[in-house]
Amino acid sequence: MTGYEYYVVVLLVYFGTFLIAAWGLNLEFGIAGVPNFAYIVLVAAGAYTYAVLTLGPDSSNGGFQHYIYGAHLPFVAALLCASAVSAILGAIIGITGLKRLRPDYQAMAMLVVSITATTIVVADTGLVNGSAGLALIPNPLHRLQGSQQGWGYVAMVGVICCLVYAVLRRFSSGPFGRLLRAMRDDEEAALSVGKNVVALRIAVQAVGGGMAGLSGALLVGFIGGWSPSAWLFIETMALLTAIIIGGMGNDWGVVIGTLIVPTLIVQGVQFLPTVGNNPELIPQLGWIILGLLTIGFLFFRPVGLVPEGRATPFRQGVEPDDARPLDARRDHALLSFVSTLPERPAPILATVPATGESGDILSVEALVREFGGVRAVDGATFTVGRGSITGLIGPNGAGKSTTLGIMSGFIKPSAGAIRFNGADVTNAPAYRRARLGLVRTFQLSREFGSLTTLENLVVAAPRARSESALGVVGGRRYWGLEEKEIKDRARELLALFQMEDKAAERARNLSGGQKRVLEVMRAVMTEPALLLLDEPTAGLSPLLTHRLGDACLALRQEGLSIVLVEHELETVERLCDTVVVMVLGKVFAQGSMADLRTRKEVQEAYIAG
Amino acid sequence: MGVVVQTIGFGIAAGAVISLGAVGFTVQFGISNVLNITYGAFMTLAAYLGYWLLNRGLDVWVALVLVGLALALISVAFNRAFLSPLQRRGAGFVSVVIGTVAAGIILQGVIVILVGPGAITYGAQFGRTVSGLGFVFSVAQLIIIGLTLTLMLGLHLLLTQTKIGRAMRATSTNRTVARACGIRTERIIDLTWLLTGFMCGVAGVALAVTTVTFDFSLGATFLIYMIAAAVLGGIAQPYGAMIGGLVVGVASQFGAAYWSPAYQDVVAFTILIIMLLIRPRGLFAAAGVARRNLSAT
Repeated sequence: MTGYEYYVVVLLVYFGTFLIAAWGLNLEFGIAGVPNFAYIVLVAAGAYTYAVLTLGPDSSNGGFQHYIYGAHLPFVAALLCASAVSAILGAIIGITGLKRLRPDYQAMAMLVVSITATTIVVADTGLVNGSAGLALIPNPLHRLQGSQQGWGYVAMVGVICCLVYAVLRRFSSGPFGRLLRAMRDDEEAALSVGKNVVALRIAVQAVGGGMAGLSGALLVGFIGGWSPSAWLFIETMALLTAIIIGGMGNDWGVVIGTLIVPTLIVQGVQFLPTVGNNPELIPQLGWIILGLLTIGFLFFRPVGLVPEGRATPFRQGVEPDDARPLDARRDHALLSFVSTLPERPAPILATVPATGESGDILSVEALVREFGGVRAVDGATFTVGRGSITGLIGPNGAGKSTTLGIMSGFIKPSAGAIRFNGADVTNAPAYRRARLGLVRTFQLSREFGSLTTLENLVVAAPRARSESALGVVGGRRYWGLEEKEIKDRARELLALFQMEDKAAERARNLSGGQKRVLEVMRAVMTEPALLLLDEPTAGLSPLLTHRLGDACLALRQEGLSIVLVEHELETVERLCDTVVVMVLGKVFAQGSMADLRTRKEVQEAYIAG
Repeated sequence: MGVVVQTIGFGIAAGAVISLGAVGFTVQFGISNVLNITYGAFMTLAAYLGYWLLNRGLDVWVALVLVGLALALISVAFNRAFLSPLQRRGAGFVSVVIGTVAAGIILQGVIVILVGPGAITYGAQFGRTVSGLGFVFSVAQLIIIGLTLTLMLGLHLLLTQTKIGRAMRATSTNRTVARACGIRTERIIDLTWLLTGFMCGVAGVALAVTTVTFDFSLGATFLIYMIAAAVLGGIAQPYGAMIGGLVVGVASQFGAAYWSPAYQDVVAFTILIIMLLIRPRGLFAAAGVARRNLSAT
């Protein structure tokens, strides 16, 4: 093989292996929003696993290097094991996400993990030969010679890249990719619509880790050696830079980024001749260019060369069976909202909440929540009637929002219990309550900003087949039909709230009022049994407030129960069957609005005038 | 018993330097809300600047103060020219972190190109040793311990007892509201970078004094200890960082003495990871700093 040919082969192999790793990190960070600064550790784990599984016992090569285990596995088996080990390690690292930390704390924790891993390997020479590293790692194509071996390896890496891409797209595109992006955009909102964020994170870090392990194994099979200096935490930076330059969250952008960054700059410059007497000059120049590129893109083009597209391609009105009901609705767009209600061909809710049972849907028992020394909620007890709209009112600081937070599982109570549909849900996590039908909205809108309005609704659909493991494996054939049904339902909801024209708009571009409406629509999409609305009309125009009220009444007609935290008494009077008055964390009174108006102490405490 | 005391002594000496670096780092992070990875590279820069001044015949402690002042100005400029504009453009937490990593890479690269990759030394700057209570410290170590205590106490009092400190904390919690309340947040941020930049410079020189030889990777390697100390103590807590630094220092010395010198860092970082798992906001978490993103509404 000539020098030039060798150069090209090396660059191509580096490109392919880096690409697999960059795709994996992009899935974790770019798409799912997990700042895994320890990613390179997973690449290293794959490389070491492959090395140890192919080198044989450490006595077999003269004993100049020592390591644990040692086997003569065939290439494919070693490759798969390497991938599996990194996937498991990735999932373990993902468990750190159980502690919900600020992203920069997470980044810092990952940094520590990365450096600790290096320290452990360097310190313990019994594990994988310490800082000297492993050498003589067999090339799977050792039977081939010269350029045949080189180009053979390039072809093999190319084929594996294609396979990895096919697997990757199952996670990064379509409904599953949409789900991950929703989690990235707003974790709490994802929890509120019943998404198990922790499980998703761990799954994503396992998949990303598997890709890292594959990348490391392929790399080490080619270069034949592996040591701690090959996987300093700064290498994660090279991958991150590739992602930022190429386009965060875009698989094809990452291809371009990987071509530019790690391959050409970090690896490419190392093949250039050394200038002068400073052997560090060339590699350092490579790093400096890398740093400048990163900063340049962060400043001037943070979306990268190929920006992230819409999570699911949007075809406005081209689906023929979709267009009809939309057009039918548009005729009524100018009419008042209420007049369209009786003509509704289908109910708003996909599943009608069980109305057969009587009694209360939710009970709050002696709820207490302390923040430091402050008792925000102080022994509140009340019930929510099935199929009713219950208002929760009281002066600012009365503990209404905290109570709502506890009911929905976002705040842990210091004492007391929450019973929903007869079951004790006091300790159930937020996402599980949402799945049971206890769904909240937020006082400050929390939209999935990078998703369109329609996608915001579609992603909230419960029990979607596309979000299951079977859905990822089965692909569109498994979930395609259901996806279409969900979209239809979402469009109907949009029509009902007269937001069809915003269907393809990214949610972050909506107005404040539209975001509020989206918040309620998204909650309705989850097929709730009890909806907890936290000041849904705050900041809405009188018209929109009225419209939202109509929607609440229509939903109640269909059997939905609603709890409404509200300051506007006119709205409360119009909508609520029962009103709970909270003062200083305690339930002060409960009854109908008309009833409460006659009670003097209530008037004095809250409804003055 | 003697070994235990001596190990604690070594730990305190090692921990003092970590604390010195961590106190500035943690306050910078806490008040300006930037996890500044460049801090390590700036310490390297400080160490080389100190070396340069030392070779001009200056006393090492004079050099330490001068370098501190230089780094104070450099840090303010760094924030004004780089980080603030980046934040104004809407870069998220993680993007800014990546920006500081990139800046650190560039600075380190420039240092290597200018001074070469070889190791240098300040020579013996330790002075004579002082012993008592079973501890043995060099004068230099005592000076560094004193410096750490003084700066930590000063920063703590500034943050908790003065109007400026209150303004700094207000700015950290919510910059927009702070500005609406009449706090000149730009000045407060400048002041934060000035103070922490000074501490960064001082820590860089102090680190070089206590290290036998060092090279361009000095600060980048050391950064992880400071992060460990800052996280252990809770972000934006000067005394937390100091105690965190001591914990890391003493733990690693015990690891070295009773297990193997090769494992001393493993011990320190393992403590940190366990800490992150059970009490992620640190021993003395500042209310309002680490919690902001997590509150329910």
